[in-house]
Amino acid sequence: MVLLLGVNFSEQRLVKRALETFYGIGPSVSTRIMARFSIHPTAKIRDLENKHITDLTAELTGMRIENDLRRQLRENITRLRDMGSYRGRRHAMGLPVRGQRTRTQIQTARKLNRIERRG
Amino acid sequence: MPSSRCLLRLPHPPSSLLAAPIAPHTSTSLRHAAPFSASASQCMPAPAKKKGVTFGGPPARGTKALRIKKTVRQSTARPPAPGERRALRKRIVLSNTNALEVAGLRDATLDSLVDEAMVGKVVGLPGQVVDSLRVVEAFKVHQGWGLFRRPACLVRKETVEIGRVVAEAEEQKTTRRVVLCGERNSGKSVLLLQGLAGAFMRGWVVLNFPEAKDLTIGHTAYSPIPNTTPTQYAQRTYTANLLSQISKANASVLSALQITQSHDLPMPLQRNLTLDRLCELGARDPDIAWPIFQALWKELTAPGRPPVFMALDGLAHVMRLSAYLAPDTKPIHAHDLALVNHFVEYLSGQKQLGNGGVVMAAVSESNQPRTPALEHAPRRKQPESFLEHQLRQLKHWNPYVKGDERVIKALDGVEVLRLKGLSREEARGVMEYYAASGMLRNTVTEGFVSEKWSLAGQGIVGELERAAVRLRV
Repeated sequence: MVLLLGVNFSEQRLVKRALETFYGIGPSVSTRIMARFSIHPTAKIRDLENKHITDLTAELTGMRIENDLRRQLRENITRLRDMGSYRGRRHAMGLPVRGQRTRTQIQTARKLNRIERRG
Repeated sequence: MPSSRCLLRLPHPPSSLLAAPIAPHTSTSLRHAAPFSASASQCMPAPAKKKGVTFGGPPARGTKALRIKKTVRQSTARPPAPGERRALRKRIVLSNTNALEVAGLRDATLDSLVDEAMVGKVVGLPGQVVDSLRVVEAFKVHQGWGLFRRPACLVRKETVEIGRVVAEAEEQKTTRRVVLCGERNSGKSVLLLQGLAGAFMRGWVVLNFPEAKDLTIGHTAYSPIPNTTPTQYAQRTYTANLLSQISKANASVLSALQITQSHDLPMPLQRNLTLDRLCELGARDPDIAWPIFQALWKELTAPGRPPVFMALDGLAHVMRLSAYLAPDTKPIHAHDLALVNHFVEYLSGQKQLGNGGVVMAAVSESNQPRTPALEHAPRRKQPESFLEHQLRQLKHWNPYVKGDERVIKALDGVEVLRLKGLSREEARGVMEYYAASGMLRNTVTEGFVSEKWSLAGQGIVGELERAAVRLRV
């Protein structure tokens, strides 16, 4: 098991997939990070050297990911709501924000749009 | 006045009035308890509805109407261990105990590979050479080695040509650069193998990249080499594996050679260290594999060392961008990978092998990546590979065709050996060998040979094998 940013990953796991488990890291960001530290695309956690692990942890620590990113998202929505904008109101009401029709098909908005959005 | 309004206005009758007409039919005892019911069964509460099941209508949202139990297969087999399937896939079978031993099959010798009188005859590969070839992964899974009793190959016209190239390089201490092209299944990889076999028999040092694709598809670790412009990348795991192969395959040659040069290595070296031990050091520790490889090369190119045979199969894979990414997320050109660069420097003639030698590469027609330049290439009348096309065009390069400058430079001036089908005499020779092995039941007559030769696209050797041995109807 290898610890990356306080999370344990098994040795067999792909480094790319391990990075993408963090909120805020998707395929392109993980590719960029791995290219930066010269980790090949099919590398597994067990292939990483100690230098790679410290580099990755330092890089991830400096990035706005996980709770920091979630907080930023919530702050953005709260700001919209506080200034009384239409988008803020729609978020608060749990309705689509970007002009979609509301007659049908608004499950996603109902699920996600709220002031205290999960992420 | 609308009827609904009319009904709304209708005054409700008092309950005493409604009960009054029914009451007289019932007994006096039930009159107060249940004024509407006449029987005891009707008084019982309705049975509770089953949850989730509805009758007459679609099922409620989120529930399944039909539930069918899935049959669960219980597997009793042991799951394959890690690496087991890969080992099976890469397994090389070099012998078929059901095939007959061919009487009078002679082993290949140095002379037989350069003798024109041997063209059209099949020669066996000596045991020690087979071991070395196996170590350097010169045998491929798809080739038909597993059909016959022991590894043997046909001496064809091109084999003699290659044999002469090797002999001349040894005599004149020059570097010969050869690219093998030709149709699919025309025997390019086997010809490369024959070249390797010849080099092993001559006591050369052999270095083989069995599959160029493995170098560039981004499946092995890579790291930038400091102080190189443009930045080069070392592949430590691959290099360690390569060193291990070099050490095992060339053990007899390298164990007789000791280090004579001074090297800048991260650890001190024993004074009378042999070169095979040097390779083993690098093979054991991937971190120092690349510096050790460089040290080995410095030793091998020093005066008085044996010639070197460098081979690579699947050339197109190293003539394009690799799947590795530089720190700025741009793809790394295959020529910036240190090992590829090492090979290409000698293939392009930029560097010469001091003690003579051959740099040989084979094109693969069944696994050739598309290259942008290929798409821009003008329509071609006859089937030829991109590399062949480029090679032909080198002298009169069309400025409007997009080509990779580095690739064009790398292939400038190489000798191109284009493989075509076997001649009828060669086809007859190999088919007689099939028959003598018991793998071909027909009598090898002129007509039969002609038929199979034609079926095999005018003697394409892989197709000939397929038509005569594999597809036995």
